[in-house]
Amino acid sequence: MATRALLAAVSACPRRRMGIKSSTCSSSLQFQRQESRIIARSFSSYTNSSLPDISRLAETARISLTPAEIEECEPKIRQVIDWFGQLQQVDVNCVEPAIRAEMEGGNLREDAPQTFENRDSIRASIPSFDETYLKVPKVLNKE
Amino acid sequence: MSTTLFRTIQPNHFTLLTTALLRTRRTSRHISVRCQTSTTTQQSSSQQQQPRTSAPKNHGSNKLDEILKDYEAVIGIETHVQLSTSTKAFCSCPNSYGSHPNTSICPVCMGLPGALPVLSSKVVDFGVRLGLALNCSLSLKSKFDRKQYFYPDLPKGYQISQFDVPIASGGYVDVDIPLEFGGGHRRFGITRVHMEEDAGKLLHSDAGDYSQVDLNRAGVPLLEIVSEPDIRSGVEAAEYGSEMQRIVRYLGVSNGNMQEGSLRCDVNISIRPIGQAEFGTKVEIKNLNAFSAMSRAIDYEITRQALLYNQGQADQIVTETRLWDEGAQKTVTMRKKEGLADYRYFPEPDLPEVILTQEYVDSIRASLPELPEAKRRRYEAMGLGIQDVLFLANDVSVAEYFDEVIGKGADVKSAANWLMSDIAAYLKNEELSISDVKLTPQELAELIAAIKDETISGKIGKQILFELLAKGGTVQGMIKEKDLVQANN
Repeated sequence: MATRALLAAVSACPRRRMGIKSSTCSSSLQFQRQESRIIARSFSSYTNSSLPDISRLAETARISLTPAEIEECEPKIRQVIDWFGQLQQVDVNCVEPAIRAEMEGGNLREDAPQTFENRDSIRASIPSFDETYLKVPKVLNKE
Repeated sequence: MSTTLFRTIQPNHFTLLTTALLRTRRTSRHISVRCQTSTTTQQSSSQQQQPRTSAPKNHGSNKLDEILKDYEAVIGIETHVQLSTSTKAFCSCPNSYGSHPNTSICPVCMGLPGALPVLSSKVVDFGVRLGLALNCSLSLKSKFDRKQYFYPDLPKGYQISQFDVPIASGGYVDVDIPLEFGGGHRRFGITRVHMEEDAGKLLHSDAGDYSQVDLNRAGVPLLEIVSEPDIRSGVEAAEYGSEMQRIVRYLGVSNGNMQEGSLRCDVNISIRPIGQAEFGTKVEIKNLNAFSAMSRAIDYEITRQALLYNQGQADQIVTETRLWDEGAQKTVTMRKKEGLADYRYFPEPDLPEVILTQEYVDSIRASLPELPEAKRRRYEAMGLGIQDVLFLANDVSVAEYFDEVIGKGADVKSAANWLMSDIAAYLKNEELSISDVKLTPQELAELIAAIKDETISGKIGKQILFELLAKGGTVQGMIKEKDLVQANN
């Protein structure tokens, strides 16, 4: 499926390294180490030189842009990507990869059901609600 | 599957095992095909010579056997298991099947602005349980990601899932192929298991240009199990699916009902000429609501793809999603995938890491029940035939009942026979499950003992059994009451 392909696209980048000291990763997610080059994690699908297809991007986000607006957007988006691109200059060779920014995990909830008291107002606020179901346009294919 | 993109096909013991098994299976099938082309008189004698390779039940499998001489099917299965928790994954709405539409809702699962998800501890528990049962390595630290796409049954516009760091990965499952399909053991690899939430239910009305959405199911926790592309036939796929069902029921994480939708399987299938290392073009098959349908759909698809190959039209096989049409018994195009969907995954900012401690994992591992594979091996070691073993280990309640009966000292073979014949027939007629019968394991053991030491005859035993199943009571009581002690000659 697409998820595998994207994982492949990310993992195909030879510069990514996953720490295996704490044996948290399975063997299927080990990647090759490039001795000769500076190892940097590259999470962006776009390198500094390439740019996303803006019209495709707008389509996936369901934002309609006129060709003029696309023209206008391009340099701005490039600026944002370049700005993030600066992070790639940082040498993180000696740093254990983290999967999230904050330090603590947890915050789990007990499996005890609770009915939300104000479901009526939720249903009332749906413009196209017809007694039992939400009425939506007939869409047959995902994405 | 696209797993090939980032994994070179390394010879490991899984592929070697399956190719070795495939080779032996192929030769036996090859013999049967040759024999079937001979005259009818020779046919009957040749069939007698090969008890293991049973005569195919449908005409199609002869054609399939021919195809499988030249092509190898490469099949992977993605299974979605709806968890039987009391609440949804990220909010406390009740998780109950069959409620009135749009009554189990709240701002979180409706995706209303400002609502924040909170993970249920039960979902993590079930995820670890299933990961361990599938012999996976657990990620002590994993995270959630947003899988973004637009669809009317997806309130938030994204699904909370796990993309690159799933809770479990790198496992395997052992199955036994039923005797009528050749028997034998298989091991299939499990690529990963991850936690995610379900979408709502979309109902298409025939009239009109609108559809209807019920969000009761939106946010219900799922575990997605992705298999390695180790499966080679419809029969293997059906057995893999059945084993997934068996395991989730044994563990109590789901009721594994394909009809209800709590177990959903999507098949990814491609074929390649035998000997070719590269995978062929992969096709996805959806809308399978029974294991038999899965098997038939795979057989159909292998035949369809092989036909195109043979006609030199292999390029007509495109990466697409096909639906299984149960009525017409064929797969039909649903949509062609125009390139791969871009889900724009990024880590879910509203949820912290999922952290497992080794103690937590160990305590869950210690509390796992005996799994189907272990049960089957134990029953085999007790001397039961494979047919009996497969029957007894199939349903966890039946296995528990059987274990109790032999625990009271009853003879293993007798207990198995009673359960498989008379008791099974009774359950089927009355549409009951083993937990409903009034006959206690203790009394069944008594019955077996009474017949063994010839207090009563086998025939009398059967009569008593029927009453005991329906009304309960004790064997001794019934013998006294009906004065059934058989005269010793």
